[in-house]
Amino acid sequence: MKINPMATEAKQSPPIDDRVLDAMIGQTRPRIERAMKIIRRPQARVGVISSPLGQLLVAESDRGLAAIHFLFTSGGERTLAMLRNKFDLIENEASARRIGAEIASVFEGDFSAMAHPVDLSLVESEFQRRTYISLRKVPPGAVITYHGLAATVGHPDSPRAIGNTMASNPVPIFVPCHRVIRSDGTIGNYGGGVDNKIKLLRAEGFEVGRDLRLPSRAVMGHRRTGIFCRPDCSAARRADPAEMLIFADARCAGHAGLRACKLCKPA
Amino acid sequence: MPTFSLKLPPPFEEAVKSMEREIMRFLMRSTGDRQDAMDLFQETWLRAYRAYPTLQSEDGLRPWIFRIASNLCRNRARDRMRRGRVIAAEAADGAASADGAPHHVDRGPEGALHLKRAISRLPGKQGQALMMRKFAGLEYTEIGAALNCSAESARASVYQALKKLKLDE
Repeated sequence: MKINPMATEAKQSPPIDDRVLDAMIGQTRPRIERAMKIIRRPQARVGVISSPLGQLLVAESDRGLAAIHFLFTSGGERTLAMLRNKFDLIENEASARRIGAEIASVFEGDFSAMAHPVDLSLVESEFQRRTYISLRKVPPGAVITYHGLAATVGHPDSPRAIGNTMASNPVPIFVPCHRVIRSDGTIGNYGGGVDNKIKLLRAEGFEVGRDLRLPSRAVMGHRRTGIFCRPDCSAARRADPAEMLIFADARCAGHAGLRACKLCKPA
Repeated sequence: MPTFSLKLPPPFEEAVKSMEREIMRFLMRSTGDRQDAMDLFQETWLRAYRAYPTLQSEDGLRPWIFRIASNLCRNRARDRMRRGRVIAAEAADGAASADGAPHHVDRGPEGALHLKRAISRLPGKQGQALMMRKFAGLEYTEIGAALNCSAESARASVYQALKKLKLDE
């Protein structure tokens, strides 16, 4: 005998009533909610803004800025995928605009916005996390060398690791990787393009020349002693690289609360 | 300068809202037991939430979530077998008639029990494919995606399953 399977199913196994299913779903709801409290990812507000540095993809969680991506370098897909792993994303233009305004204010000489808290959830390695935290202590108007930054995290022989860390900085501008330069005095590379590095350094008072070198007026400042020297001062050369910052000129160093060296007498 | 348009996938809760009934129906059919279905529903929901960021495109959401559900069903069935318990379908028959769920009341239970047993005797993939096709109403391509095989293979599984059921009859 030929049986129509659909008819068999209809006769012997009628569809389960939607109300029954809804009641079952309703019963599981509180259990799911309880479990979700534990595993739910934090929220991050995402948006696209245009800034003096080009179009940016920005993301902010309740703890602070989680990601900034220069969209001209590549589409934001990779950044979005990394963000999705850690956060539940929602689009929020207002939040993005506020971050845009903070970045714009940097170019008007107001650096207070740079202190915006950052959320380093996208950073997996402890070394990188420590590096970013220590880099944030380099103030606007000063730069540090890859070598010096390596020394601040206790690995003075690992400037290359610092280079890689800077390349994967999730929150450029606010974690100021543009303030890291090469030991020979050239400004080095930048994930957001060297032009943007120059723009940011100029906004912070460094007149970077055509040769991509720091101006010759630059002085070395010692964070612990609070003294700044000419780069060729014997005291500066003996100093611990982890404590040394480079300021655009004597005035910048003075603003940062440092005094001139009595040996080399920088202007 | 080309402008980048931000395209975010919908939040998880929103995305699965429309599928909840379907999933619960599928689990109910697969396990045949109210409590099991609810357990697995919760498990499916939480696993899917956890893995949601790895899903590449939303078009794949439906087969993907059914795949999670069917994997969980299979795992549970296997665990039961290991512990030497009766398989879910037969255990459920007793439980279902005892608690008198509405869908069991208004018909002679004989045929349904027979069909349920027959389905539970099918090889795993054929049974799953049959249930996704006939009870959850998925397309063959979706079943294929859910069971990690081609649409053709999914169609063949359903056909084989039906053929065996007819022989049983």
